[in-house]
Amino acid sequence: MPLAETRAVSKAFGPVQALDRVSLELAPGQVLALLGPNGAGKTTLVKVLLGLLKPDRGEARIFGQDPTRPGARRGLGATPQESGFPPTLRVREVLALVRAHYPEPEDARELLQRFGLAPLARRLASGLSGGERRRLSLALAFAGRPALVVLDEPTAGLDVAARRALWREIKGFRDRGGGVLLTTHDLNEADALADRVAILHRGRLLAVDRPEAIRQRVGLKKIRFRAPRLPELPGVARVEREGGRFVLLAADADRVVTLLVRSGVPFSQLEVQPVGLEEAFLAITGEGS
Amino acid sequence: MTRLVWAHFKAEVLGAIRVPGFVIPTMVFPSMFFLLFAVPYLKTWPAANQTTASFMAFAVFGVIFFQYAVGAAEERQNPWYAYLRTLPLPPLVRPLAQVLAGLLLALTAALVVAATAWATTPLKPEAASPLGLLAALALGAVPLGLLGLAVAYLFPPRAALPVANLLYLPLSYLGGLWMPPEALPAWAQKASLWTPTRHWAELLWASARGEAWPPASLAALSAYALIFAALAAWAWRRER
Repeated sequence: MPLAETRAVSKAFGPVQALDRVSLELAPGQVLALLGPNGAGKTTLVKVLLGLLKPDRGEARIFGQDPTRPGARRGLGATPQESGFPPTLRVREVLALVRAHYPEPEDARELLQRFGLAPLARRLASGLSGGERRRLSLALAFAGRPALVVLDEPTAGLDVAARRALWREIKGFRDRGGGVLLTTHDLNEADALADRVAILHRGRLLAVDRPEAIRQRVGLKKIRFRAPRLPELPGVARVEREGGRFVLLAADADRVVTLLVRSGVPFSQLEVQPVGLEEAFLAITGEGS
Repeated sequence: MTRLVWAHFKAEVLGAIRVPGFVIPTMVFPSMFFLLFAVPYLKTWPAANQTTASFMAFAVFGVIFFQYAVGAAEERQNPWYAYLRTLPLPPLVRPLAQVLAGLLLALTAALVVAATAWATTPLKPEAASPLGLLAALALGAVPLGLLGLAVAYLFPPRAALPVANLLYLPLSYLGGLWMPPEALPAWAQKASLWTPTRHWAELLWASARGEAWPPASLAALSAYALIFAALAAWAWRRER
């Protein structure tokens, strides 16, 4: 049985189709990254799986049950948005409140230690810095000894060290058989963490694949140069003109540049830049410009 | 289940009593007003009993009304409460914990007033019916808590506190919670009969004399409970 699954889930907010027939599965011992630009529908999908939103059509299941039923969420861990801790509760009190919901929660002291919160246990939640709030929010996701954790943009705003520590935590959890669903708009993060990456764009699932395969599809580079004409260059996803310059989008920029040199066509002002995820999606889906 | 209600009860109570903006107005102001404006006029035990009951109601009103009006408004905008809904939390646990926390805080505020009266007025507790008094205090908390909820859902979160104050102070004055209705100006005496607080006070004054509740006021208070429940439900549904 998958830990989490959606079957043809659709959800609209007024005229906006936030999710359009999305079907996904997450197995134990797996990290699934939902990748997409802002507004792609990632948060809506997360809210459906957390039981906060009901789909208009289709079905969402966690542990084979409807996530809007409280009992279904016993093995689920999620992160609160860190802007909203109860301001007058202390860190250990917030943790105690969340632990009280689970039959066999993690040891409080051990959890605070793991997330670097031990020295802050007596601090009021309102007195935490941004990074500390983020760490508390992540600790809460693991407080109930979950089998499935759902993390919405877990590393946004974390410094490099904290990000590495969280990645270690997520991988350790996965290796012990846990399932992780995380959202990100950072391809590198999806690459570093995920066993599978699902690409969401304007509410539709464009692809679900291993990270390497996804990188081939959306890890595009932009190659700009001035030349009298454009030679035949295999492996180019898209060609544009920008003033007098050619702009090529390609997954393997090194190879394209090599071929360009070999073609003998004289060129100048060569630039190679990574392409943002948004632009890469537009290139793949053939939308835009 | 019990453990979970206890956990949320504790979080509610701790959350409230650490906020000076909640504790001072609800726990200290009623007794302070009582000392300043009522005590000098309370020369006999019937007057002391009646006015003490009024100020106990004023204290309960403050706790319950602001807990719901401001608390529910806060919940509407704070993502923490969306997070709580992702926990395996049965739907009735939090409302139950909130009611229990509200009762504890309201009772505390009322007892502070009673203790102040005991120390400073010719109060005659043995003439009152303590059970009737407690029951009347709890009963009046229902319509006024519902009115608070209606305010929370009818107005944008930032407006909830000022609107709550605009209802709390006039309703206390007109209801006769600060001074007996006979001492109010003529227009206010007329308006008084239309307030839920006046009918609430009538029940309390009867119990303070050891008498039975006047049925008309009991009926009026129940009617207000129904009206405010409908208003809160309508506002809540509109908000969705």
